[in-house]
Amino acid sequence: MKNTIKVQRAIKNLTQEQLASLLGVSRQTINSIEKNRYVPSTVLALKLSKVFDISVNEIFNLDDTD
Amino acid sequence: MDNYSSNNSDVKKLERWSKFQLPTYFKRVGYIVSLLGVALLITKAFFDVPDWVKPVLSNMLILGLLIISLSKESIEDEFIVSLRSQSYRLAFVFGVAYAVFVLPFLNYFVDIILDTSGEASFQVSVFEVLFCMLTIQLLFFNKSKKAHQ
Repeated sequence: MKNTIKVQRAIKNLTQEQLASLLGVSRQTINSIEKNRYVPSTVLALKLSKVFDISVNEIFNLDDTD
Repeated sequence: MDNYSSNNSDVKKLERWSKFQLPTYFKRVGYIVSLLGVALLITKAFFDVPDWVKPVLSNMLILGLLIISLSKESIEDEFIVSLRSQSYRLAFVFGVAYAVFVLPFLNYFVDIILDTSGEASFQVSVFEVLFCMLTIQLLFFNKSKKAHQ
């Protein structure tokens, strides 16, 4: 699965730390999701979509291998 | 319907047990208890103490490590929960492997080297297995937390 969190973060001008505190998670969690090492829960994905004000489908995309 | 709701309460009861954790500040308490245990175990060697002292101090060390292991992180989010469960899984596998494969042979060779009666051979020490499991869990957990910085 691919994601556009880094891009969305740049659009909103947020650091990993700032995004993490907005979502109530640690910076490591944001870093791991951005680097595709961790797939977040539906709850966290929906929270991300709320912060970025776009749909979950615009943040996360299925890969060819999925 | 009744059956369904009773299953639901069972799940909640089980979750209360499986998700049990101590507050973050207990981590410090755990470090103090286990370090005190180690320090007393070392100093004990220089004094003539009764037999019950060693098991009590070993248990103190194990209890301290368990307290550290059960303490929450300052931000205990879903990612930390997944790292934690991975570390428990690994510790469980290592604990069993250590008890079955490593410890008996280690004791066997110690027996040969020290030329004791052979009574220690193939006996598994509860303390060593628990110590192995808890240290593997804590080391793996801390290592993976740092790796994802």
